[in-house]
Amino acid sequence: MLRIEELSVSYGSVRALTDVDLDVRGDGVLHGVIGPNGAGKSTLLDAICGRRRPTAGTVRYCGEDITRRSISWRRRQGMARSFQRTSIFEDLTVHEQLDLVAQHLGDDRLDDVIEVMDLGSHLDQKAGRIAYGVQRRVDVALALIGRPRLLLMDEPGAGLSATETLRLFEHVRDLVRERAIAAVVVEHDVDAVFACCSMVTVLDLGRHLATGAPEAIRADHRVIAAYLGTAA
Amino acid sequence: MTGDLHGTATGTLGGRLSRMSLAIVALSIGLGAGAFVPTCLASDFVLRLGSEGLLLGMLALSVAFLMNQAGLVALGAASIYGGAGYLFAIGMSEWGLTPAAALCTGFLIIVAYVIVLGALIVRTNPLAFMMLTLAAGEMISHAVLLEGLRDYTGGADGLLVQLKGSILGIDVADLADPARFWSMAWIVAVLAGLAFWGIARSRLGAVLRAVRANEERMRFSGFNTFVPRLIGYVLVNVVAAIAGFLHVLNAGFVSPESLGLSVSTNALVAALMGGIVGSLGPILGGLIFAFAQDEFGARGLTQLLTGVAIVVFIVVFPRGVVGGLSSALGLFGWRREAS
Amino acid sequence: MIALLIANSLALASLLIMLSSGLALIYGLRDVINFGHGAIYMLGAYLGYTIALVGGFWLALVLVPILLALLGIIFEYLALRPLQRRSHIEVALVTLGLGIILGQVIIYIYGGEARSIDAPKILSGSISVLNLSYPVYRLFLIVMGLGSCALLALWLRYTPSGLYVRAVSQDPSVARMMGINADRLSLLVTSLSTAFAGIAGVLAGPYLSIDPGMDVAMIVNCLIIVVIGGTGSIGGAIVAALLFGLVQVAGSVFLPNLAALVPYILLMVVLLIAPGGIGRGRVLS
Repeated sequence: MLRIEELSVSYGSVRALTDVDLDVRGDGVLHGVIGPNGAGKSTLLDAICGRRRPTAGTVRYCGEDITRRSISWRRRQGMARSFQRTSIFEDLTVHEQLDLVAQHLGDDRLDDVIEVMDLGSHLDQKAGRIAYGVQRRVDVALALIGRPRLLLMDEPGAGLSATETLRLFEHVRDLVRERAIAAVVVEHDVDAVFACCSMVTVLDLGRHLATGAPEAIRADHRVIAAYLGTAA
Repeated sequence: MTGDLHGTATGTLGGRLSRMSLAIVALSIGLGAGAFVPTCLASDFVLRLGSEGLLLGMLALSVAFLMNQAGLVALGAASIYGGAGYLFAIGMSEWGLTPAAALCTGFLIIVAYVIVLGALIVRTNPLAFMMLTLAAGEMISHAVLLEGLRDYTGGADGLLVQLKGSILGIDVADLADPARFWSMAWIVAVLAGLAFWGIARSRLGAVLRAVRANEERMRFSGFNTFVPRLIGYVLVNVVAAIAGFLHVLNAGFVSPESLGLSVSTNALVAALMGGIVGSLGPILGGLIFAFAQDEFGARGLTQLLTGVAIVVFIVVFPRGVVGGLSSALGLFGWRREAS
Repeated sequence: MIALLIANSLALASLLIMLSSGLALIYGLRDVINFGHGAIYMLGAYLGYTIALVGGFWLALVLVPILLALLGIIFEYLALRPLQRRSHIEVALVTLGLGIILGQVIIYIYGGEARSIDAPKILSGSISVLNLSYPVYRLFLIVMGLGSCALLALWLRYTPSGLYVRAVSQDPSVARMMGINADRLSLLVTSLSTAFAGIAGVLAGPYLSIDPGMDVAMIVNCLIIVVIGGTGSIGGAIVAALLFGLVQVAGSVFLPNLAALVPYILLMVVLLIAPGGIGRGRVLS
């Protein structure tokens, strides 16, 4: 579903990503991306969703080379993204913003999304006034509208407790399985990633370090040396 | 008179229909009354001043709508207003067109210009947009004063238009009459206000507001964020152009002053005074401004007070004099104010 | 011929650099465009005129920047600081209003006719450079322009405050956490900006005219330059000012009928080709 080939992204003279490959199949895959700070995880997501133009390499989505496509085109093709720093519409009510996007993407099953993200009791509240945790759910909900086929999530657990993050991950895993879609999740909370993801990729200093099932990654000595430490 | 046409209609269909028809009747009465009652009661001088106020109010509507819905401040409204007048005058004098043809040609040229300009500047951030509209306005001012175009534009002296012929059956020369012009201006201004109110309530309004709030998220939600803003920009300038045509039809004369920066800032002040939250405010702001300007006479003093007004209304009264009141009453507001 | 063109462009660009870099600095640091910048320039010119009448050009050149720096401090404390929490558009509008007020006060005091001021004896007349005769005053302008560019570059590169300004211009969110006293820096930048506007105003006296429309004319020029340069990019503003000067002068020589429109054409062309401006600044949303 998503294939990234030799992707490199530079900001001026800083190389954020160098020759990164990634392969994500569809069908219920929750693919985690971990790595120390500065590893280039967010940049990877940015390149996949179109926010950053790569300096080299290609991004293929469902077989098609989409490297040059716009953000909104990618979204309409079913590639949706949620944000590390919550990006919602503070002046609109929860319902208004979900509805706005749902109408645009032609999604008539908004109630499903509302239920999945447990936003039923917050619909008429202005998004700027609700609790942070609820705001993050709105952020994710916006990405879920329109039945996306590929979810890109940037540190969905940011600002949440370990338990909340785990719960969120379990939620996303179930969703992904139910709908047979794929999700790439960048996250710092390694425990949640190992608990819920079927595949994990580790980045370090902009390079691809390892990819595999959680157990394999946990045992990989290079990963341990670079990131996890000895008590993995 | 309730302008709240959309209403939270929980009544029966019959109830809704009768509420709609009541509103339409009330609106028509208001439209008619406003068009004709003042012509019987007020002097020619007051009518003239009032008409000026209505035209300024339309310009203010155009500035206010873009500000409120798209978060963009257009400082070049006068160039469209005056430009429309110039194009009409040139059409009639130089190209010998009939009034209707001159109007249409002028309108088409303006729309083409606005689309091209808008396409260039609407992508930029709001501050850059503000700077660019100021620059574009000055560009038109300079263009009109070019020596090479003097034959067309009359240079610093401006152009006189011989108003003959008719448009849609209305004899153009009649529009010089203060009473008739007031009626015409009133009807057009109210329709413009209604149009903006309708657009604000429509999907375009919702999209504009959302793009203003979080442009990036809109792109990430599959929206094209450029086209709605361009459409908004074109629409507000269409209203500015209509006001400009009305102005020249009444005055029979255009000059570089009518497209100068001071007219744009006057429109801005009128919008701020009236409040930029709904259709009522800018129109009333225009009327207030016109009458106040008459009080203060000398142009320099008016300009000084314009500057003061801008500062005062941004810092102290952000909702404007009327705006706060009118949105409290729910009249022709441009946003659904959720609690 | 070409040499003359280049020299004249540099002279004009010198003034523009002094003005637009001030504007770009404030924008880079605070995300604020001071629409009253042209009025401050105008104040510098008129004040310079008055002081020069009494005490000579050089006194004006020294005194006006000091006075205008003080004005900058007042502006910072009375206008920019209290409005810090308001949106950038609102602050920009307030500066617009203040600029209009300042302009009108100046016109009220001095009246509506244009003034002229003569260059001081040392700088008047022409000098022979490479077989060409060239006005000394313009060479002086070029020197002043280069000098202020150099000073600016040195400050930005080698001082901590300059480094901070550069960092904030590039990425406001990260740099603001660096813990330097942003308020004091902002005060410095604002008063420098107004002081340089004042210098430019005094210098403009013998070179351009001193007239009631100069505030609008100059703010438009500066805005065009700042947009072309990429708002917030100081290097971009300097390059844009040079480009503007060249285009303006070339325009008045080769296309005299369209001379007034040439800067706008430049603006439109740049917007078409590079919507973000030349430098690495923040024009696009």
